[in-house]
Amino acid sequence: MSKFFFKGGLVLENPFPAKEIDLIRIPLPDRVILPMQQRIGEQAKPCISVGDHVLTGQVIATIDDDRCAPVHASISGTVVAIDNQVMAHQSGLEALCVTIESDGEDEWMDNSVACTENYDFCTPDTIYNKIRTSGIVGMGGAGFPTHTKVQFAEGCHTLIVNATECEPGIMCDDALMQAYPTKVIRGIEVLLHICGAEKAIIAIEDDKKESIELLRKFCKNERITIEALPTKYTSGAEKILVKSLLGIEIPSGGYASDVGVLCQNVGTLVAIFDAVVENRPLISRVVTVTGSAVREPKNFQVRLGASYDYVLGFADIKEGDNNIRMAGMMMGVDLVGSDYSISKNTNCIFVNQVEEKIPAQECIRCGMCNTVCPVDLLPQQLYWYSKSSNIEKALDYNLMDCIECGCCSHVCPSKIPLVDYYQFAKALNRQQTKEKDLTDNARERFEFREFRLERNKKERGEMMEAKKKALKEKMAKDKVQKEAIAAAQERVALAKTAKESENAS
Amino acid sequence: MFDAVSTLSMLALFLGLVLGYAAIRYKVEGNPLVDQIDAILPQTQCGQCDFPGCRPYAEAIASGEAEINQCPPGGQDGVDALAELLDVDTLPLNAEHGETKPKRIAVVDEEVCIGCTLCIQACPVDAFVGSSKVMTQVIASECTGCDLCLPVCPVDCIDMVEVKLTINTFVPNVLELANV
Amino acid sequence: MQVKVMSTNLVMRHVIYALILGVGAQVYFFGLSVLVQMTLAVVTALAAEALVLRMRGMQIAPSLRDGSAALTAILLAIAVPSIAPWWIIVLGVLFAIVFGKQLFGGLGNNPFNPAMLGYAFLLISYPLQMTQWPSEFQGVLAIFEFSGIDVLTGATNLDYAKTQLMLGESIGMLTFESASQMWINLGFLLGGLYLLLRRIIFWHIPVSLIIGLALMSGILYLIDPANFSSPVFHLINGATMLAAFFIATDPVSASTTPLGRLIYGFAIGVIIIIIRVFGGYPDAVAFAVLLMNITVPLIDYYTQPKVFGK
Repeated sequence: MSKFFFKGGLVLENPFPAKEIDLIRIPLPDRVILPMQQRIGEQAKPCISVGDHVLTGQVIATIDDDRCAPVHASISGTVVAIDNQVMAHQSGLEALCVTIESDGEDEWMDNSVACTENYDFCTPDTIYNKIRTSGIVGMGGAGFPTHTKVQFAEGCHTLIVNATECEPGIMCDDALMQAYPTKVIRGIEVLLHICGAEKAIIAIEDDKKESIELLRKFCKNERITIEALPTKYTSGAEKILVKSLLGIEIPSGGYASDVGVLCQNVGTLVAIFDAVVENRPLISRVVTVTGSAVREPKNFQVRLGASYDYVLGFADIKEGDNNIRMAGMMMGVDLVGSDYSISKNTNCIFVNQVEEKIPAQECIRCGMCNTVCPVDLLPQQLYWYSKSSNIEKALDYNLMDCIECGCCSHVCPSKIPLVDYYQFAKALNRQQTKEKDLTDNARERFEFREFRLERNKKERGEMMEAKKKALKEKMAKDKVQKEAIAAAQERVALAKTAKESENAS
Repeated sequence: MFDAVSTLSMLALFLGLVLGYAAIRYKVEGNPLVDQIDAILPQTQCGQCDFPGCRPYAEAIASGEAEINQCPPGGQDGVDALAELLDVDTLPLNAEHGETKPKRIAVVDEEVCIGCTLCIQACPVDAFVGSSKVMTQVIASECTGCDLCLPVCPVDCIDMVEVKLTINTFVPNVLELANV
Repeated sequence: MQVKVMSTNLVMRHVIYALILGVGAQVYFFGLSVLVQMTLAVVTALAAEALVLRMRGMQIAPSLRDGSAALTAILLAIAVPSIAPWWIIVLGVLFAIVFGKQLFGGLGNNPFNPAMLGYAFLLISYPLQMTQWPSEFQGVLAIFEFSGIDVLTGATNLDYAKTQLMLGESIGMLTFESASQMWINLGFLLGGLYLLLRRIIFWHIPVSLIIGLALMSGILYLIDPANFSSPVFHLINGATMLAAFFIATDPVSASTTPLGRLIYGFAIGVIIIIIRVFGGYPDAVAFAVLLMNITVPLIDYYTQPKVFGK
């Protein structure tokens, strides 16, 4: 057993190996559609209007809260639309996007304000701000805003560079490392400068021999080591990676920063280098195009927002009915049609020939899924509870710890799409929690309103009582006075009549 | 025979004492059933059930005065949940009380509002911000969609807008998952 | 871990293949009527399942093709003596498929092992027919001949041992009425090993069942060898190997966690011995399995593995 062994997971063969891994830079697209909704967090708000002329690298959408990243124009040209477009998501729902029509010039915005090329002399705060304003998110597919992650990892002791690319078929990280090994190393050095970690480990699967060789050749920094891990699916999942490299288990519900580790995808590090040293915000990424309908898998450096059809036009695709799948064969999303755009987390497009879908059979409780789960869950139990929408029990069985890797679905003899059930259960849980919060809030406000009205009524009643009493007292006082005056007047009148009768006699 | 009678009587006495003690020692204040029913109700406070709020309706259900199928915002799912809680057969939603509509939020047309504050007074959860002769608007996160502000507005400037599904709130249909 | 991706249909089919050796031994000792009974059982099972599926408004062909009904029928036919009248196996299969499987919701939803449910039903309702095993090779149509006047019958070894004990006779380490049981068990053992090698079943249940059985009978044997049969006797007689590799390993009704499976198998082994020795029936596999089926949800709940990061 190698020292990087982890339980569960699957040894999978790359179904579409490429003869050689190279990175092809394709020409500028004619139009780009940039989504405002990043994967996590609130939507960014466009800060330009239809008809504006924008430059490459110009900020076109800003963010209020710190949990998302701003959006930059990936080409120069005119903003032709700010409207809803279909997103590459299983729901097929739309979200707000900015469409820019290229002017062919690719004129760059001057982002050298707050220059950080000599980052060694800049404070970590300055570099952190540069990362934050450059729109960098995790390039491994999760899309978590990098600046947020770096902020939480202040004071961490180890930086792990995730170059494993464990999902079979995807080779974009491999292509990136072979094309820009020095950028990778220098990106790591920038990040080490900010977070203050003692060391950095580049974790890479042992089937990427050329990349390992190149990185070893160009790495002269003693703080950076390169570890080759056995090729096994889910070796690149953050929790698993931290466990197999450092032997630390991230607590359930926690993050790597809780145990003093910062984990970043190698593509993110190249983006950090580009932003900090070359003043270029995140406006392009590497996309692998592969699949059963692709004659030769290729990797393209694409501007963000280019349409899938544009990118696929540069690949050699077989004729016929083909399916598009975004991201990998294990964790990917099957899409209807191909009218989507490359976003910050589109690492791969699978183009597969249409195959007959095998309908799922009943679960025979064989337990194969239990044996391959890398996070030691019981997928079978989660399946039964998710299927009957029993979210409480599913949470009891640690539904939220599921990394949705798809190992369980892959080995199921009945071909049940298990991960779909867990995604459903998680979405239902989100919905139910939100609803419960809303109803609790509504109940509280209603009860307070009742209390307030009661209180007002009571106060008014008391006030009326007090006024009445005061009036009565006043009236009583008045009455007493009047009686005194009347008595005095009577006395005077009596005295007068007595005097008159005296005078008369 | 005397043995049998005395044995059973002693048993009955003993069990009676135990139950009596338990009834006093473990007595629960208030009526937890009403709380449980109220926890299932959607807290829209709309009054479509013919009661002035969700808690009065919950109390009516607990005392047997009302049926469980009078709440349209809770939908058929709510009726089923109440049936399960009370261990009775479920009923179809009573259409006389209204129909279940998708979640809607009230929005005031700011150009038309005259600041009469009638809507502020009508709202059961105080979801309006405004004052006399000042423009009033709805706090979207507090609005339960109960529709009580619609009839009182003298210039009819309140619209009910449906809450759209977003990628973050989308829930797939579990019944369609297996027919891949 | 290198895991072979299987399909449910393939799993069922391989289990049926693995039964061939044991069934062959049965045919050798008891005659071709074994096969006739098996065919009748399979036909009844498929027909019953098709009928119930039609009534439930579900698709028939995919369910029949997965082979689970056929497997239940074959297991039951192995357990029922081949000279029992034809209606015995038909009734048993009907009960197993309709009550034991379809009424619970079909494949994957039954809490009890359907074959064992059918067997228990038959054993309790028709004890005489269920305990008469042929003592010599029988003709093909044995199940259609009525009653056992012409047929030479004998008891199984377990039955014989029990009767001997009741008569006050002591039994030696190995008491044989006939060697048939041993060969049949050997056949099923080899089939079971084939399934293990092909990773169709996991090792936890067979190994723990055999250990539990051997341990329990071993303890009793050590206490009083004259009145309790030896572990070897128990291992090679009765339906031990069939139970260990084919019956207790039915994934739908067995425990699903690794530790749970060990407990489940071990307990079945122990209960088999207890019922065989102290109970009223000569063989106890069916009851032991059914009893442990009831405890499966409890076992599963308390044997969850530790979750990553907790």
